[in-house]
Amino acid sequence: MSNVGDLQSLASSITAMTSPFRNYLIDLHEKYRSLNEGAVADYIPELALAKPEWFGVCVVTAEGQVFEVGNCDQLFTIQSISKAFVFGLALEDHGREYVNSKVSVEPTGEAFNSIVLDEATNRPYNPMVNAGAIATADLIKGKDGTERLKRVLEMFKRYTGREHDINVPVFLSEKATGNRNRAMAYLMLNFGMVSDKIDETLDLYFQQCSIMVNARDLAMLSATLANGGVNPVTKERAIDERYVQDVISVMLTCGMYDASGEWAYRVGLPAKSGVGGGITAIAPGKLGIGTFSPPLDAKGNSVRGIKVCEDLSKDFGLHLFNVASPERNLQEWIAGGDGVNDW
Amino acid sequence: MPKVVSIHSYRGGTGKSNFTANLATTVAALGSRVGVVDTDVPSPGIHNLFCLEPEQMGKTLNSYLWGEGAIEEAAYDISANVGVEGAGKLFLVPSSVKADDIARILKDGYDVRLMNDGFRNLVKALQLDYLFIDTHPGLSKETFLSIAISHVLIIILRPDKQDYQGTAVAMDVARQLNVRKVLLAINKAHSKLNPEALKQKVEETYSETVAGIFPLSEDIVQLASEGVFCVKYPEHPVSQEFRKVAQQIIEG
Ligand SMILES: Nc1ncnc2c1ncn2[C@@H]1O[C@H](COP(=O)(O)OP(=O)(O)OP(=O)(O)O)[C@@H](O)[C@H]1O
Ligand SMILES: [Mg+2]
Repeated sequence: MSNVGDLQSLASSITAMTSPFRNYLIDLHEKYRSLNEGAVADYIPELALAKPEWFGVCVVTAEGQVFEVGNCDQLFTIQSISKAFVFGLALEDHGREYVNSKVSVEPTGEAFNSIVLDEATNRPYNPMVNAGAIATADLIKGKDGTERLKRVLEMFKRYTGREHDINVPVFLSEKATGNRNRAMAYLMLNFGMVSDKIDETLDLYFQQCSIMVNARDLAMLSATLANGGVNPVTKERAIDERYVQDVISVMLTCGMYDASGEWAYRVGLPAKSGVGGGITAIAPGKLGIGTFSPPLDAKGNSVRGIKVCEDLSKDFGLHLFNVASPERNLQEWIAGGDGVNDW
Repeated sequence: MPKVVSIHSYRGGTGKSNFTANLATTVAALGSRVGVVDTDVPSPGIHNLFCLEPEQMGKTLNSYLWGEGAIEEAAYDISANVGVEGAGKLFLVPSSVKADDIARILKDGYDVRLMNDGFRNLVKALQLDYLFIDTHPGLSKETFLSIAISHVLIIILRPDKQDYQGTAVAMDVARQLNVRKVLLAINKAHSKLNPEALKQKVEETYSETVAGIFPLSEDIVQLASEGVFCVKYPEHPVSQEFRKVAQQIIEG
């Protein structure tokens, strides 16, 4: 401890450990640990292996402080959460106008796997439903499937700050049972909305959904968006700042499957969930939330994850359109101090 | 809201364990539920003052840190040992005095976050009003942690140049950790010192309140850590000074 820098960094690691905000998260985790509702996805055998009691909550602030409770190292497949971020990469590859001409951004009342296109334009409804995500994956540049996948993996690495692998059994299972997605792709090909490299694009789509992440990664993904597209820990830019708003707004309107409207109203945090049990949620300019808990509700969203986001939003006034002063002041709870009673 | 009180000094042998034991006992005797944790894992000792013998210890703080049980399982009700009756209660979470256990924790270390979570769990499980933390001298992760979470930090110093300098270091750390309230206590002041002048000088040096000045006392030496001083000699001036400091903890 010879210089001030070391003292400061040790002190800040200790204050993160003792931060009332971390204690709040511990209590929140405890509060919902015993909530045994919902069911683990089992449409492919690999997902059914997830333990219903797995439960991790991680929050990363736009300043790069990391708070985590529970199973934040447990890996699972990112599933639909990938869609939001691949949409961002497609925007970087082609620009807004072109991407919009291929995929609409309209929420749909239909299920995520419905085979419905916009009647007037033949575009899939939005990048978060399967059809839209396949059309988006089609837009990812690269000379072959390998290079396109590599670009997707590198993008995720910029967001999370670490390398990601594909869960091969999940990928193969998704591919083997993905006839409905295949049908959608061909329907879109029929309308000229996707290129004819259907198999390669579907592989990419199934692979992007099979990327393994943990709750901390999910918090990093959203914290990076919350921080204007720059990973707040590594300081690396993950996405062109012009497209941050595109990704976030589509998450707000379409991110939680057909619970998105109610979510936007009640929680007010742009978010994306996946059937693997993950949710990533953004409080722009403030923080990113990553939750992992496999049991899903009827609409396909993690039951405990929803509760955690609801509580965080309510307790710290994180709802996008909240103007009332919240019960707890986020900055005070993170920094600790006299005004905070976390006992 | 429960209150966490850490007792610290940069140098060893200043009287931390004595202060912790006397202050915790005084507060408990006034009717509060009080817990004491001996975080001096490398050289535990406060159990002696509370007359808790190693043979009576099953689980310890070490067991908790090794994931062998909840922290409250390592808490011993020592109210009777110090004559605390009625609504007041006094619990001690001792550190293990077994050489093997000490070696193991020094060698393998432990996740300091567990200490933070353990303090909180203990307060909840035993419904404590006060948690006193006795610390190892000097700076270490657990010292930083206990300073960071405390509502009141008591720094003990002797009138000695080495202590003065060490206290300045401890104060730097405390400020860096945004500590809420600091009380200084001067211990082992010899009889030739003018207490008022000493108090003033120390308060000016560190810009913090001196909560009490304790003389170098033959009687404390004689008790030789075999009990809590203010229980044995409730009317002694030293015990009165402890009550004065306890009052400032309760009010502060
Ligand atoms: N005011 C005093 N006058 C005389 N002796 C004292 C006084 N206060 C404490 N002592 C004695 O000083 C010794 C050290 O006290 P104590 O164990 O409380 O210090 P400590 O700061 O906890 O030490 P360590 O740093 O080793 O944990 C003990 O023998 C104790 O009885
Ligand atoms: Mg001691």
